[in-house]
Amino acid sequence: MAKIELVNITKRFGKFTALDNVNLEIKDNEFFVLFGPAGAGKTTLLNTVAGLVMPEEGVVKFNDEIMNKVDPSHRNVAMVFENYALYPNLTVYENIASPLRSPLYKKDDATIDKEVHRVAQILRIDHLLERLPSQLSNGQKQRVAIGRALVRNPNVFLMDEPIAHLDAKLRHHMRSELKEMQSSFNSTVIYVTHDFLEAVSLGDRIAIINEGKIIQVGTREEVYYTPCNEFVASLVGEPEINLVDGRLIADNGKYYVEVLQKGYMLPLPENSGIIKKLIDSGTTEYHIGFRPNNVKYTFEKKEGLLRGTVYSFESIGNKAVLIAKIGDQFLRMIAPNDLKVKLDQDVYVELPINRATFFNAQTTQFIGTSDEAAIYRLVQEQLSKGVQ
Amino acid sequence: MSKLIIKNLYKRYENKGRKKTDKNEFAVNNFSLECEDGEFIAILGPSGCGKTTTLRMIAGLEDITAGDIFIGDTRINDLHPKDRNIGLAFEDYALYPPLTVFDNIAFNLKAKGVPADEIKKRVMEIAPLLKVEDLLDKMPVSLSGGQKQRVNIARAIVRRPGILLLDEPLSHLDGKMRQALRTEIKRLHNEIKCTTVYVTHDQLEAMSLADRMAIMNLGVLQQFGTPMEVYDDPANEFVAGFIGEPPMNILKTTIIKHENDFYFTFENSDLRILCPKRYYDLLKDGMQVKMGVRPTDIYVGGPDSKGTPVRVAVFEDLCAERRIGVRVGDELVMMITEDETRYRQGEQIKLEVNGEKTHLFDLETGNRIRPKK
Repeated sequence: MAKIELVNITKRFGKFTALDNVNLEIKDNEFFVLFGPAGAGKTTLLNTVAGLVMPEEGVVKFNDEIMNKVDPSHRNVAMVFENYALYPNLTVYENIASPLRSPLYKKDDATIDKEVHRVAQILRIDHLLERLPSQLSNGQKQRVAIGRALVRNPNVFLMDEPIAHLDAKLRHHMRSELKEMQSSFNSTVIYVTHDFLEAVSLGDRIAIINEGKIIQVGTREEVYYTPCNEFVASLVGEPEINLVDGRLIADNGKYYVEVLQKGYMLPLPENSGIIKKLIDSGTTEYHIGFRPNNVKYTFEKKEGLLRGTVYSFESIGNKAVLIAKIGDQFLRMIAPNDLKVKLDQDVYVELPINRATFFNAQTTQFIGTSDEAAIYRLVQEQLSKGVQ
Repeated sequence: MSKLIIKNLYKRYENKGRKKTDKNEFAVNNFSLECEDGEFIAILGPSGCGKTTTLRMIAGLEDITAGDIFIGDTRINDLHPKDRNIGLAFEDYALYPPLTVFDNIAFNLKAKGVPADEIKKRVMEIAPLLKVEDLLDKMPVSLSGGQKQRVNIARAIVRRPGILLLDEPLSHLDGKMRQALRTEIKRLHNEIKCTTVYVTHDQLEAMSLADRMAIMNLGVLQQFGTPMEVYDDPANEFVAGFIGEPPMNILKTTIIKHENDFYFTFENSDLRILCPKRYYDLLKDGMQVKMGVRPTDIYVGGPDSKGTPVRVAVFEDLCAERRIGVRVGDELVMMITEDETRYRQGEQIKLEVNGEKTHLFDLETGNRIRPKK
C-alpha cells in the first residue's frame, strides 16, 4: 500500500519524447487507470513507476519517499503483463507461491500456504492449484498471473493491459471479474489500457494520456460528462460522440445555436448556466458534442427536425448503431436492433440541446455542458465519495 | 455478380501425426451453403473453426478434399484461381510498395492487358467509393492502415469480380478506424451489390454487415441465418454463447415440479425461475438441462417484486449503460440496464428473469430443446 507521486517526469528515447512533464498523484488504495491510444506513453509511465525506465527529469515518490535511485526489486511493486509469463514447469500453486520463495520476500511454508489459498479463493482458481499452466485456459492463466502478484502485498500493483489479448468474450468476462475482486486487492493499483470500457468500469480515477502528456485526470463522470477537450470526448464513449459545428445567435434576449443547416436554430436552455459560459468563452463558434444514445430520430416527416438519409444501420447485438447523413455531416445514434430500415431512406433527427457539450471551435477546449442530468450525477458522485 | 453454391464441402489436411480416431479429422466438415446473387454473407467462428480454409477453397488457394463449389452455373473445383472471377482481400494488405496507389489498384487490369484508358476509367469509378480518390498518387508507405485496406479492397473490386472474398479485412485496424471502415464496407456493398463472402471472428462485424451469417465451429456449420434469427433463435449452445455482447448467460439447471408448475433451480443458489408454459410438455421433475437467458432479459425488481433476493457481485458503470452481475452458484450472471440507479457491491436486489425469453439446451449435446408447436 502506498501513495504514488510523479513530479515533472520527462522521458526521452533519443529525439522522441515519450513522457512530457508528467505530474500525477495516485492515492493510497486507489484503482488508477492510465487510458490512451497506442503509443501514448502509458507503458513507459508504468515502467517508470516500476523502476524499469529511468526518467531524464523528475521524481518518483512512494509515500513521500523518493524512489528514483531505488532498484526495481526493492520498490516492492508487483507487475502483471499482457503475456502472463508463468513458469511452465511449476503447478499453479507453485507459480503463485514463487514470489514468497524468493530470497527477498521469503516466508515460511505455513504462511505461504495460507496466502496461496487466500488469493486463489479471490481469483476463483482454488480448484486448479495442482494443474500446470499448459492445462489452463487463457483466462485462467491470467488469473494465476494476477494471483502471483497479489500474494505478496506490494506497495503498488502495476497491470499493463492484462486482458487486452484475450478474445472479446473472455475479455468482457474478465473485466467484470476484475471489478468483482477489486475490493479484495487492498492495494494501490495502476492499470494501463486502451479500452474505454475497461477504463470506465474499473477506474476510481482515470488519467487520459496522449503523446506523452496527461490530458485530463478525473472520475468516470468527469471525463465522460465534462471532457476537458474534444480529444477526451472522442476517446471516452462508444460509439464516438457526434461533434457538429455550431454558432451562437442572440435574438430578442433569447439565445440559440445554429447547427448543421443555415437557419436551423436550437434554443439554449435558459436556466442551465450554459448561456453565460458561452458568452464568456470569447468565441461564438463551437463544436457541439451530442452522445449517440441521446440523439433521437423518427422516420415520419416532422417539422422542426433535421432531415437526412440513413447512411448505415449496424446491429451490434442487443442494440444497433444508426448513422444518418445530413448534408456532409454524419450523426451516429443508438437504435433498437430489430429496426426495419433501408439504406438511403429519409430520417428525421432531433439533436438534444439539453444534453450537449460545448467546445471552443478554435482551441477544441471544453466550455461547458447544458446537461443537467450530467451535473446532477457529478454532484451525486462527489456526495457518495464524501459519505464513504 | 453471381450466385455461390457450396455443396458438402470437406477439407482434410494430410498430417502424418494424426491418429485415426481423431474426431477433428476434417478442417471443414460437410459444409453446405447457398449465397444469393448480390448477397453479403459472413462466415463467423473462433480461430481454427475452418472459416478461412473454406474461403481459400472458394478462392482456389486450397485443394478441395470432397464436395463441389459453383459460381453461377459453373463448377469451379478444377478452375485455376485466376479463372474463377474472384476478388480477394486479406487481413494484411499486401500492397506493392514501389507502386503508387493508382498502379496498385490497376495492377491486375494491366496484367490482363486491359487498355490504358479503360483502366483509368475503372479506377476512377472505384476510387470515390472507397474514398481513395485523393490518394491515387501516393505510395503505400505513406498511408495509414485504414487507407491501405481501402486500397486493397479497391484492388479486389476493380476487376468486377463475380464474388468478392474478404478475409478479416478489419482485424489489423484500431477501434475507431475499424468502425469507420466497417460502415464504408457496408456502403460499398450497397453501391456495387457484389456477392460477398466475409470471414471474421468478430461477431459484431458479422452482425452489422451481413445479410446472412454462417457460424462455424470445429469445421462444422452450426447455423446459417440472418443476424436477428441467429440472435433470437440460436440453434445450439455454441451459437447462443458466441453471439451477443455480453453473451447469453447459460446455466446448468435442475427442473423441479411444484404444485403443477415447473421451476428452474440452480446448484448453490436460491434462484428459482418459473418455466415458460410452452416447455411443460417436455419437462420432468428432476430433469437436468442448460438454461440460457440474454443479459437484457434479466431485471432488478422494484420494492414489490416477487423476484429472488440476491446480492450484487459486480456493478459496472459504462457511462451509456450499466451492467450488474450476480453469482448464481459459481457462475457470474450479467444483466444490462440503461436505468441510472447505481448499486454497491454486496447490496441486495430482487432478481427477475423474463422466463418467456429463456432458451433450453441439451446438457450433453448442447442442442436447442424447442417446444412442440
